[in-house]
Amino acid sequence: MVGALLRLLIRYRRTVVLAGTLVCAFLLMTLQVRHESSVVSVTRQVLLFAVSPFIRLTSGILHGTGSVWSDYVDLRDLRQENLRLRGEVGLLKRRIQQLEDQALETQRLQRLLGFRETWPAEFLSARVVGKDATNWFRTILLDRGSPDGVRRNMPVVTADGLVGRVLEVTPTISRVQLLTDPVSSVGGLVQRTRVTGIVSGNLGAGARVRYLPLLADVVPGDEVVTSGMGGVFPKGIPVGRITAVERKSGALFAEAVLSPAADLGRLEEVMILKGTEPHQGFETGSQR
Amino acid sequence: MTPAWFGVGLLACVLGQAIFLLPISVLGIRPDLFLLLVLYVSQRVTPEAATLLGFLVGLTQDALSGAPLGLRAFTDGLLGFLAACLSRDLYTETPLAQFGLVFAGSAGAGILSLGLFLFFFGAVSPVGPLIRTILPEAAYTAAAGVVLFSLPRIRAALARLV
Repeated sequence: MVGALLRLLIRYRRTVVLAGTLVCAFLLMTLQVRHESSVVSVTRQVLLFAVSPFIRLTSGILHGTGSVWSDYVDLRDLRQENLRLRGEVGLLKRRIQQLEDQALETQRLQRLLGFRETWPAEFLSARVVGKDATNWFRTILLDRGSPDGVRRNMPVVTADGLVGRVLEVTPTISRVQLLTDPVSSVGGLVQRTRVTGIVSGNLGAGARVRYLPLLADVVPGDEVVTSGMGGVFPKGIPVGRITAVERKSGALFAEAVLSPAADLGRLEEVMILKGTEPHQGFETGSQR
Repeated sequence: MTPAWFGVGLLACVLGQAIFLLPISVLGIRPDLFLLLVLYVSQRVTPEAATLLGFLVGLTQDALSGAPLGLRAFTDGLLGFLAACLSRDLYTETPLAQFGLVFAGSAGAGILSLGLFLFFFGAVSPVGPLIRTILPEAAYTAAAGVVLFSLPRIRAALARLV
């Protein structure tokens, strides 16, 4: 009996392998989407952890090489300037450039600091080391992990506004789901009229505010902030600006197209909001 | 292809997709290196091995993205199987034909992924993702595939010259 079964398996091995693989993949998806299985979560973390040293190392090397290269380019420019302007002018130009870089950096840090002072919570700065491996989903990889105190669902922001939430954490790297991800949803509040809706990503294109009351007073240009409902994001973080409102006949709700406040395509440094459990000082967010 | 070279290829895909290809993304679209790896490997192994390797490649891609684990593993496993079964009939070194085949593979994998996404996450209009993501990604991947697949020939031609 067993021998016959084995012979049958060997004979139809091609079909068996294909069917087994596809069923396995489908089961993995089902377990994750329908049941939030810990097996799938652990598998993801193990795979992410396995490749994270390479990503961090490569990103670090690129970052360092970029600095060396820009220094080299500056130096070459400086030499040309020296030849043309007998040295001194070139040196001054380089100095000015350095000061401009420092001024820009100071400006950026001041904005971050300003944001930090607005929110009485513990912040953790992080560098973006990679992006989503597909063109479908919108996630980024940060160089901070569980030893830094990063936990799942922690909000991630820039000085301009909300970026997303921490989706997965490994000891060396974390993955953040951007608010433009097709399976992301954030409770939103139109600042002018206090109308609430759900900000969610749109597969392959930007974000939308869904489930707005059909007759709600929402117009292009309205600012949207987090509503604080759902318990993940504290209230009052800028999410974006409404650029268009759609009211389809027969629909139960209106929808709006949202332009995110933070430039999600050019993220380099972000801040992770730690200690964002309810009643930790975020009630002040509604006064903004 | 030895397991070591496959591992190197997979690591190159991970780093390329997550870091190196970002500067050359057009409107947020990058070529899908994982898919190219599956197509490349599938021409050199049996359909059973191609299915399993496609599954592994897809699983790695899923782990590095917000996709549910198994989404790309499903499509890449199936693509690996089909590519390995048809490799003898469809093998070509003509750039235009290569472009067409990779485009078809990438678009097929994209449409299948969209179908699975709709199955698990509910109603989304398929037209937008098809125009904004699937077709541009297929075209970009096909163009990158033509370049990458011709590298061994270019290297051989250069070696002959030297």
